[in-house]
Amino acid sequence: MAETDFERRLERLFAEAPELPDCVAFANGVERRLSRGWQTRRWLIGAAGVVGGVIGASQLVLSNLFQRVENAEESARALSVSLAQVAPSTELMTALSGGVGVWVAAGLAVLTLGFALSRVIEEI
Amino acid sequence: MSATKPSSFASLHDVELCSYAATGEGRAFGELARRHGSAVRYLLRRMGAQAAEADDVAQDAFLTAFQRITEFRGEGTFAAWVKRIAARLYLRRLQRERRLTELAQEGGDEEGDALRGDADGRIDLDEALKALSKAERLCVSLCFGAGLSHAEAAEALNLPLGTVKSHVKRGLDKLRARLAPAEGAALEGRRGNG
Repeated sequence: MAETDFERRLERLFAEAPELPDCVAFANGVERRLSRGWQTRRWLIGAAGVVGGVIGASQLVLSNLFQRVENAEESARALSVSLAQVAPSTELMTALSGGVGVWVAAGLAVLTLGFALSRVIEEI
Repeated sequence: MSATKPSSFASLHDVELCSYAATGEGRAFGELARRHGSAVRYLLRRMGAQAAEADDVAQDAFLTAFQRITEFRGEGTFAAWVKRIAARLYLRRLQRERRLTELAQEGGDEEGDALRGDADGRIDLDEALKALSKAERLCVSLCFGAGLSHAEAAEALNLPLGTVKSHVKRGLDKLRARLAPAEGAALEGRRGNG
């Protein structure tokens, strides 16, 4: 029991460290080193960004990107011309969805009804 | 916690300061360093570090603590957490400089400096620790100052558990012989004054 008491007292003595006179200077030193660390990190990230940008730009130039963009433009032009030729067929679709379409649907409905009636009569 | 930063961190609790520090607020962590810096530096000196070395290791310990601040869950005190970090850093430094092996091989019978009391004959912990051998001092400081268990201390020191236990026991015996009566008298003196 006495041993435990002594050990507790010893722990307390270790914990009760008096404040050193330069504790503020010590804390300032820690803060300074922290901010220096952040600044270094910022510089490193910035430098990595610049290096990455330079590499990216050089890769774009080296891979003939501009030539490819020109080719893509030509392809797009050719595609639009082809689509313009397809356009007349859309007139047929418009006609079908208008008055003609209704008559065609009505005719098909009459045919279906006639077919259904003939089947019913046969069954009877 | 509010998003606004207080103008002064001095009134905040350690746990609150840790929360601010976790968001990268260096000034909050500076306040923690101001509060607990002395305790950490004292621990390292008691472990046997010279004043300048203790300050270096203590600064490294605080920087490590800042980097690992999210690992601090507030289960123990912040001071105890940083002390453990500092103690381990100091041991690593000793190991790097091959001083730890010397300490480990050192016999426990070796006596430390002669004990000196102050004018009133009172002996404080730092004076009493000088009576211990380096290995005893290291083991006692690790277990009672940094809060490591015997097994943790043995692992950190790379020593057999039995060796650490015997270093601690011998150290405690010496400290008890030198510190207990004086400390008791000091406590009584304080009570008498109070």
